[in-house]
Amino acid sequence: MGSLKQDAHTGELGPVDGADRNTAGALRPLVGDRTSASPLSAADDSGNGFMATSLDFVVNWGRKNSLWPMPLGLSCCGIELMAMIGPKFDLARFGAEAARFTPRQCDLLVVAGTLTWKMARACRQIYDQMPDPKWVIAMGVCSSSGGMYDSYAVVQGVDSILPVDVYVPGCPPRPDAVIDGILKLQKKIEREHPHRRVLRVPDVVEVRGHEQWYRAPNAAVAAKPHTSSTHEKTTYFVGRDAAAPKEQKR
Amino acid sequence: MSSTTDSGRPATSKSGATAARVAAALEGLNVRTVDARDGMHSLVVERGDLAEVLNRLQSRAQFEQVTLITGVDHLPAQPRFEVVHQLWSLVHRDRVRLKTFVTSEDAVVPTATHLWPGAAFMERECFDMFGIRFEGHENLRRLLMPEDYEHHPLRKEFPHHGIEPDKLYRAWERERRDEFFERRSAEEAR
Repeated sequence: MGSLKQDAHTGELGPVDGADRNTAGALRPLVGDRTSASPLSAADDSGNGFMATSLDFVVNWGRKNSLWPMPLGLSCCGIELMAMIGPKFDLARFGAEAARFTPRQCDLLVVAGTLTWKMARACRQIYDQMPDPKWVIAMGVCSSSGGMYDSYAVVQGVDSILPVDVYVPGCPPRPDAVIDGILKLQKKIEREHPHRRVLRVPDVVEVRGHEQWYRAPNAAVAAKPHTSSTHEKTTYFVGRDAAAPKEQKR
Repeated sequence: MSSTTDSGRPATSKSGATAARVAAALEGLNVRTVDARDGMHSLVVERGDLAEVLNRLQSRAQFEQVTLITGVDHLPAQPRFEVVHQLWSLVHRDRVRLKTFVTSEDAVVPTATHLWPGAAFMERECFDMFGIRFEGHENLRRLLMPEDYEHHPLRKEFPHHGIEPDKLYRAWERERRDEFFERRSAEEAR
């Protein structure tokens, strides 16, 4: 184990021997340390310095620490969601307190509660209106799996219509549990490639022109041809970075 | 003579006075009194008489409110559907229940909306869940299920998990996807 050195300016302990990797595998930035001989960071006597890191880390670091949730409170989970954002549980500690009620400004969809098939269109539309990159938390058992509503009217898990990143069980989950889910999501964001949000390679199900339609990677059930049934969880989205064999003119 | 029971609840079980009042109001109509387990004064009404029965109960027997309109599906039995109306009299503090039996081929009963406007939603729900139509209802659309839905969920033959519950959603999704591609190709053409 490498020795930790105290930073002269901040007093923090930091790694000094080259680029260290954190548990998630992302590059950790080097702390500016004027005593260090590392070429990745330096500072002069007046304290002006630089530090080098990977762009991926900085982008993901910025993303994960400023999630803007879109609260989709559909039933009792919505109450817990409000408590989570409120002062007692204080989601602001994790930088995700700026709930907006327009999907255009959000990047974290929290599906809190029972999603019915009648509401599914609205939910999907909200998801589609959110700008990329975006993440989804299925809060509570209803949105995770349909929960106790084993019924014709309820979507048996929002992963039937959306790609879900984190499932938080509970009926309703305590705010701490959802905060834990958000921390898990932050860990997940940390590992993502900033250009390509989806880490797992999804199934290409359809090619139209230069667009490729993927099955969402979170779809819980193995790929089947598209038919209408609640047990076949099929979600499609278009891949922007699909191979685009555009016809070269001239 | 108090019109409530000792527990303070409305005198539904003490139906002697209610029965007399209802019988007087329904003079000359073909109704049959049946025993109800909860002691409420209950009548079986022919479908042809239902409109007149409701009218008279409101105007002559002071039943100012309709508290419930719902259906029952007795599937193996015929006639299959039973439409239940429950009325409540604020003046007399008593209730009456009307049962009307209709067959599945001809599941139509007269509406109560011209007597009690509040009946509208209950009739819509009953139509939504059982497919029983209420003749004369001005806006008999589905209330809970999507309007394009093709089935009636509280019918006995309706399966627990429904019949293609995501059908409408998937159709909508495909429609949007096609629209998306059309828009994309139009943009490319420009």
